[in-house]
Amino acid sequence: MNYLPSDYLPILIQLGLALAFIVGTMLVTHSIGPKRNSKLKDEAFECGIESQGDARTPISIKYFLVAILFVLFDVEVIFMYPWAVNFIKLGSDGFIEMILFMGLLLAGFYYIIRKGVLEWEK
Amino acid sequence: MLPIVLLSILGLVVLFLGFQKSKNLLLPATLLVLAIVLVANFLHWNDMPSLYFKNMLFENKFTMAFSGIVIFSAFLIVALTRGFVDDESAQPAEYYTLMLFSLVGAVMMIGFENLIMLFVGIEILSVSMFILTGSDKKNLRSNEAALKYFLMGAFATGIMLFGMALLYGATGSFNLTAIKGYVMANNAPSAMLYVGLLMLLIGMLFKVSAAPFHFWTPDVYDGAPTIFTTYMSTIVKTAGFAAIYRLLSGSFSGIYSFWWMTLAVITVLTLLAGNITAVYQTSFKRMMAYSSISHAGYLLLSLTALTNQSQSAIVFYSLAYSIATISAFGVLMLVAKETGVHSYENAERFEAFNGLGKKNPLLAFVLTVSMLSLAGIPLTAGFWGKFFVFSSAADRGLTWMLVIAILMSTVGIYYYFKAIIAAYMREGELSAIKVSPFYRLILIATTIITLVFGLMPDFLKGLV
Repeated sequence: MNYLPSDYLPILIQLGLALAFIVGTMLVTHSIGPKRNSKLKDEAFECGIESQGDARTPISIKYFLVAILFVLFDVEVIFMYPWAVNFIKLGSDGFIEMILFMGLLLAGFYYIIRKGVLEWEK
Repeated sequence: MLPIVLLSILGLVVLFLGFQKSKNLLLPATLLVLAIVLVANFLHWNDMPSLYFKNMLFENKFTMAFSGIVIFSAFLIVALTRGFVDDESAQPAEYYTLMLFSLVGAVMMIGFENLIMLFVGIEILSVSMFILTGSDKKNLRSNEAALKYFLMGAFATGIMLFGMALLYGATGSFNLTAIKGYVMANNAPSAMLYVGLLMLLIGMLFKVSAAPFHFWTPDVYDGAPTIFTTYMSTIVKTAGFAAIYRLLSGSFSGIYSFWWMTLAVITVLTLLAGNITAVYQTSFKRMMAYSSISHAGYLLLSLTALTNQSQSAIVFYSLAYSIATISAFGVLMLVAKETGVHSYENAERFEAFNGLGKKNPLLAFVLTVSMLSLAGIPLTAGFWGKFFVFSSAADRGLTWMLVIAILMSTVGIYYYFKAIIAAYMREGELSAIKVSPFYRLILIATTIITLVFGLMPDFLKGLV
């Protein structure tokens, strides 16, 4: 089947309508809605509890290290699954390659432990 | 193939050496590793070109020569680190390991046969560079440089990956030979191929800092610790140009008429932007950053021509450029450390070299030879580098580009001579700088190599 450019006209109309609805409602609510500002109303609402301090506080680097290490070793497991499923098909070559991969990864793991990244209270 | 395996394994060994109390063993160990890898690289020199790792990597004399240049440059740069002993917050083992690992990426970029390998190589090299750029943790400029490099580099990588995906869409393969087969077989390739090639080129030209993708270069090169600036401006650039050459000559020589004009415009822009901006710099380090842009322009000139001579021309040019840059930065590091004691502001300016010739004749001579080589004055390797590049362009008949390139290299003479004039003709209170014997040996070696290749250029040219 061949489509002509004019066959896509409904999509264009749909796009126009969607945009018109958004712009229209925004204009209408801004123009007819009541505007009552107060200091209390502008405050951030957090379950009725008064908010304290700044959200941008420095966080210990340990959190980031643990997070990134988690991602690293998590991704490693993703590689293990397809390998395990195709274990017989890949044969001894696949086995050796996986051992190599795990060996390199464990070398990194050993490095992390020796560096003391996993010691929380230090 | 052997260098990749050796660098990966011995890199880990160097990393674990760092757990020892004494850090004195690291520098000799790294140098030993690099020497072993350099020998291993040339073991198969006389063999036939061959493919490795299920047709992922390619090895012939050209890739071996380029890997050799990269590994040799790394050897010289590591020798100039002096073991990072003066810096207490430095992590020498990690730095050396990252340098060795980044070389894995460089060798992969040089020998790729599959676009996936190119991508993996570029990433290994770039990620190591992002870290090394920001290795001066307490320095705000170093942090800024690392972040800038990372964000821009990630963006360029995205464009490059998009290009690779489009190439795969057009040709159905990531393999260079298969892509070449498609280009040869189809008289009217799909538009995806053209767009893909351009996007891939944009990503790679970003990595070698060709205009108009060069804006990150001065800030990053200026902010990074000088030793890693040297590393970036030699090794990343050399590997990048080898990769672009392999890509263009390996797959896309059939559609030369399509891409040559794009590359020609980029070359001219790079030459103009690099050379003219370098004239206005007051900082020597920043001038070297712009000079590296301008040298990217000369190398691109040879790639635009893409004749039979281009191959040996870019090998020779990369070697000449790398050696001269290493000795220039080697002198700068010594002088900046000396003047940095009095005024941190002036440490990396041209004025830092004032009066160098009087008390430190050797350093002044090394600086002079490297500047002459970068400017392309006869009797230095840089002259023959430019000569080969220009003659390959002349073969293709790109006369108008030659005129611009020659004009720009005369502009280059002006700003390179500023350093020489400061060293010999200006008065300064620079006292005699203590240079360790090994450091002195490396500087003398780079100078001799520059002069020997300036006198006997055919020595290398006949090999590749």
